[in-house]
Amino acid sequence: VLSEKDLEGPLWELEMALLESDVALPVAESIIKRVKEDLTGQHKKFLRSTGDLAEDALRDSIASILNTNALDFDDFVRKSNRPVVITFIGVNGAGKTTTIAKLGERLKEQGYGVVIAAGDTFRAGAIEQLEKHADRLGIKMIKHAQGADPAAVIYDAVQFAKNNKKDIVLADTAGRLHTNINLMEQLRKINRVVKPDLVIFVDEAIAGNDAVERAKLFNDAVPVSGTILTKADADAKGGAAISIAHITGKPILFLGVGQEYKDLKKFETDWFVDRLFER
Amino acid sequence: MVLDNLGTSLKDALRKIANSGKIDKEVIDEVVKDIQRAMIQADVNVKLVMKLSSTIKNRALTEAPPAGMNSKEHVLRIVYTELVNIVGKATPVALQSQTIMMVGLQGSGKTTTSAKIARYFARKGLKPAVICADTYRPGAYDQLKQLCDKLGVGFYGEAGNKDAVAIVRNGLKEMAKYDVKIVDTAGRHALETDLIQEMKDIYGLTKFDHKLLVLDAAIGQQASEQARAFNDAIGITGVVITKLDGTAKGGGALSAVSDTNTSIAFIGVGETPDDMERFDPDGFISRLLGM
Ligand SMILES: Nc1nc2c(ncn2[C@@H]2O[C@H](COP(=O)(O)OP(=O)(O)OP(=O)(O)O)[C@@H](O)[C@H]2O)c(=O)[nH]1
Ligand SMILES: Nc1nc2c(ncn2[C@@H]2O[C@H](COP(=O)(O)OP(=O)(O)OP(=O)(O)O)[C@@H](O)[C@H]2O)c(=O)[nH]1
Ligand SMILES: [K+]
Ligand SMILES: [Mg+2]
Ligand SMILES: [Mg+2]
Repeated sequence: VLSEKDLEGPLWELEMALLESDVALPVAESIIKRVKEDLTGQHKKFLRSTGDLAEDALRDSIASILNTNALDFDDFVRKSNRPVVITFIGVNGAGKTTTIAKLGERLKEQGYGVVIAAGDTFRAGAIEQLEKHADRLGIKMIKHAQGADPAAVIYDAVQFAKNNKKDIVLADTAGRLHTNINLMEQLRKINRVVKPDLVIFVDEAIAGNDAVERAKLFNDAVPVSGTILTKADADAKGGAAISIAHITGKPILFLGVGQEYKDLKKFETDWFVDRLFER
Repeated sequence: MVLDNLGTSLKDALRKIANSGKIDKEVIDEVVKDIQRAMIQADVNVKLVMKLSSTIKNRALTEAPPAGMNSKEHVLRIVYTELVNIVGKATPVALQSQTIMMVGLQGSGKTTTSAKIARYFARKGLKPAVICADTYRPGAYDQLKQLCDKLGVGFYGEAGNKDAVAIVRNGLKEMAKYDVKIVDTAGRHALETDLIQEMKDIYGLTKFDHKLLVLDAAIGQQASEQARAFNDAIGITGVVITKLDGTAKGGGALSAVSDTNTSIAFIGVGETPDDMERFDPDGFISRLLGM
């Protein structure tokens, strides 16, 4: 029978590994606590070391966090009423605009008619950045002048899609920090005005503990449908995926794995968990 | 002084010592554990946290508190001096003619900070110009040009040219009459070998007075490895921490300066060109420990 004392050493090592993989501290603690409760008092299976048992239990626990409320993006898009309106939100520089271009390319290849909305009317060069992507990809972009109301831009893009029988609207928004009350209110307004089918939270695999804070505050402002984690090519283990899925209760949809359009990978729990545990 | 604005959690932990009257091993263990948690939550490298906390523990157990200092103040002072040892003072940035190169991971804030630093020098009465060496990110040229035009500082870029090294070579010549030349480079990370090579080639063009690594306050455990790669390639002279107007604590920057033997020059606290401050070690350390 496994006692708390048997588990102490192996669980401490696993907790350190989670922390070194950028799982936020409170999330790592809560996962380890659950694994400990599950294992304590269990009969030790024949010929398995306590460390191996703990690691298996931890894998299961992480997988269950990542698999909650699974959402098949392709399936969702296929079955939803047209146009499918998708907004992308997140902190500054996380990769929203680039991810929209990548998804735009992917959806276009699948045969959908795509419209992009230049909803970042704030940052210098934001409209030009998205416009260059749209031109390269041959995708229609709807824009207003810099400083315009982002909700109005996205609304116009939705009207354009309706009038021109387009299937999907991908709406960019300006990067913002979750502590900026006015800008978070602006996201609520966008939600009220355009009623998106999906709200995708974009964050980066290199983020540490703050992933929890921002996922929580973005999700509180506008309930997110799922997350895309960018910059997973930067050698990070990407524990932020676990923190964010834990906080939002929503799945990770894709990983960004580079700066090219093809560098968007469907998120697969098994692949991710294997990578997390490889030393 | 940093000791006054420590976060409440840590204060609670330290109150345990104050109330217990004497310092014994158990109390110190408990406090060090709280400090460990604070540093890990602030994204300080886990190995560095373990190293630091064992140093703190040893010192707290072996060094007698100076006369007139109670045990609580004693432990606090140890924590503070250990952290000050790592962060040091703000990177000196002379108010004179110079050439500065901005480098860092994708989206960390290089372009915004380039404009902020131009603004900083302009306010001090020097004539700055920014050179756009980002030929990868769509709209990078427009972003920087718009920022510079709005500030009325010099700008050099070549919209059609994909050769960043050639652009910087031309730009340094073209902008020779400006006092401060700031080169904004494309975002890159340690595994992008072609981009790291490009950065080295730009670095080879002139003797840069500063090579500033721009780090997002929210970067996690990757900070050390990335900072080391940039330092190995071009020898960084300082760090800029951006986006400290959010809730991220910037512990990644602590790991970065520890691993590269540098210090922090500026902090970014917002999106506009005025939202930058010189680095203040006390404020940074209290934020780091404050949870
Ligand atoms: N290596 C790598 N870089 C990425 C990835 N996704 C985005 N980037 C880069 O990250 C930087 C920022 O990307 P953007 O798409 O502009 O980010 P954003 O969230 O729209 O930024 P703001 O609009 O300023 O808030 C750019 O240099 C992108 O090329 C990725 O998966 N891997
Ligand atoms: N809130 C806040 N946002 C910032 C700060 N510094 C930069 N930003 C924002 O972060 C995002 C990325 O900034 P950029 O300057 O484009 O970053 P970059 O490093 O040049 O990005 P790449 O060139 O794509 O690698 C933009 O939305 C900026 O407005 C800061 O201190 N606070
Ligand atoms: K150095
Ligand atoms: Mg953007
Ligand atoms: Mg840039």
